Amino acid sequence: MNHQGGWELIKNTWQSWLQHRGFFFLLAFGWMLPLLVYLMIWSAAASEGSLTGLSQDTLAGYYLVLVLVNQLTYATTNWTVGDNIRMGQISRWLIQPMSPLYHALSSEIAGKVVFMLFSVPVTAVLALIFRPQFNLSWQQSLLFLPSIVLAWALRFFWGYWLALLAFWATRADSLLALQDTMIFLLGGHLAPIRLLPNWMQSLAKILPFRYMSAFPVEILTGFLDKNEIFSGLLIQLGWTITAYLLYRLVWIRGVRHYEAVGG
Amino acid sequence: MQGLRLIFEFFKVSTQAELAYRANFFIRFLNAILNLVTGVLSLTVIFNQVDSIKGWDLPSAMALLGVYLLLAALRGLFIGPSLESVAGMDGEIWQGTFDFTLLRPVDKQFLISFRHWRVLMLFDLCLALGVLGYAIHLMQAELTLLAVLGFIITLIAGVALLYAALLAFSALVFWNSGFLFTWIINDLFQLARYPVELYPVWLRLVLTWIIPVGLMTTIPAQALSGRLSWQWLILTLLFTIGALIGASWLFRQGLKKYTSASS
Repeated sequence: MNHQGGWELIKNTWQSWLQHRGFFFLLAFGWMLPLLVYLMIWSAAASEGSLTGLSQDTLAGYYLVLVLVNQLTYATTNWTVGDNIRMGQISRWLIQPMSPLYHALSSEIAGKVVFMLFSVPVTAVLALIFRPQFNLSWQQSLLFLPSIVLAWALRFFWGYWLALLAFWATRADSLLALQDTMIFLLGGHLAPIRLLPNWMQSLAKILPFRYMSAFPVEILTGFLDKNEIFSGLLIQLGWTITAYLLYRLVWIRGVRHYEAVGG
Repeated sequence: MQGLRLIFEFFKVSTQAELAYRANFFIRFLNAILNLVTGVLSLTVIFNQVDSIKGWDLPSAMALLGVYLLLAALRGLFIGPSLESVAGMDGEIWQGTFDFTLLRPVDKQFLISFRHWRVLMLFDLCLALGVLGYAIHLMQAELTLLAVLGFIITLIAGVALLYAALLAFSALVFWNSGFLFTWIINDLFQLARYPVELYPVWLRLVLTWIIPVGLMTTIPAQALSGRLSWQWLILTLLFTIGALIGASWLFRQGLKKYTSASS
């Protein structure tokens, strides 16, 4: 397999994406806004009564980190996978001497570079407005790293295998909308997991969606104790492996099924 | 009269085009249900934690959600697709095909406002009415005839304000054709999901007087729960009329600035 070519493709893509900054900044703004809405709603709620141990500044810390983590783990490319299969673009990739996964990875990395150029400064300004409070420890920061890498991998491969269903069904990308909704509800966007009703909390802890976004944030902001962190990491790893295997399975079957239309 | 006939024809043509794709039907259906579930569950989660935030309890917040969904459905039904086809991504201004629109012997603002319809959004409209009905059921005891009357008037004002804001943002495309102004207003519209009173003071002022997405939903919901004063009612109506005149003026100024991209 040609990794050199893959890396060149990655570099090339992010440079070309940087030319269209305005467009991607606008996208990043759109993803950030719902989180800020819920930060403000919960802040307003916290200012009136007590929310099981969450003060306004802890909430601000949670949501501002979540803005960045969500941006880092959001796999934008998966939305175009279906189009590439439908339009036959993928035919060209299949005959190239490297895995088509590199095409997805290259826009993933390009996306992260461009989105962070927007999100980091904006979050810094927001931090001045919302005055977050962190109690960071080095253990938490250390455990945060593997969990965010896993969160990205899980979210990417989960979306990728769903998107690859476009080999069989033309509008498989609506499953991605479903995934986004689940992440919103159970992935700590609507509310930090501990504020959810019990039945939603138990669902959140079993299903993969919390491990795609909220879990690293909960580690970093000190919402979890040691046991919860380690059992969480195990579940996260398990889901990531599952997602990867599903991707391999769907990919191999899909390519066999694939027939290009046109040239 | 000719206007109504034209709208009917536009509606018919759009409907025929849309219903040709059967998969779209299920996807619209899925999206509408997701929207509804997300909205209602969000409120359930929030009011599971607190009884009321800044005077808003579950029934009144549910009424606001109903208004929000109703406006969102109307936007998706015709205002959004019509204006997007001119000012959105790959719109007529980008493509240079706006010339053909200008040549039609009809009022230009009328034409670009009513041209495209997405008939399947009628389903969203029904769900929105359902939420409103449910909200009214929740607050039954307090409902008076005057409140309902005020609600209908302010709801119409809300639709008109939404239209004015979208028209104004679309008109900006004449000054900078590369930027997706309509996306900004779409993003900001999400803030209308919750009462403006829940936001920090500076944002509340912006959302009331500068980008009036707050007025669109908060005022009708207040009217329905009988908390709207006469002064606010009159102020809202005056503001709406001003916004309509202003947006129309901006559009005409932009039209004058337009130089064809094709020749």
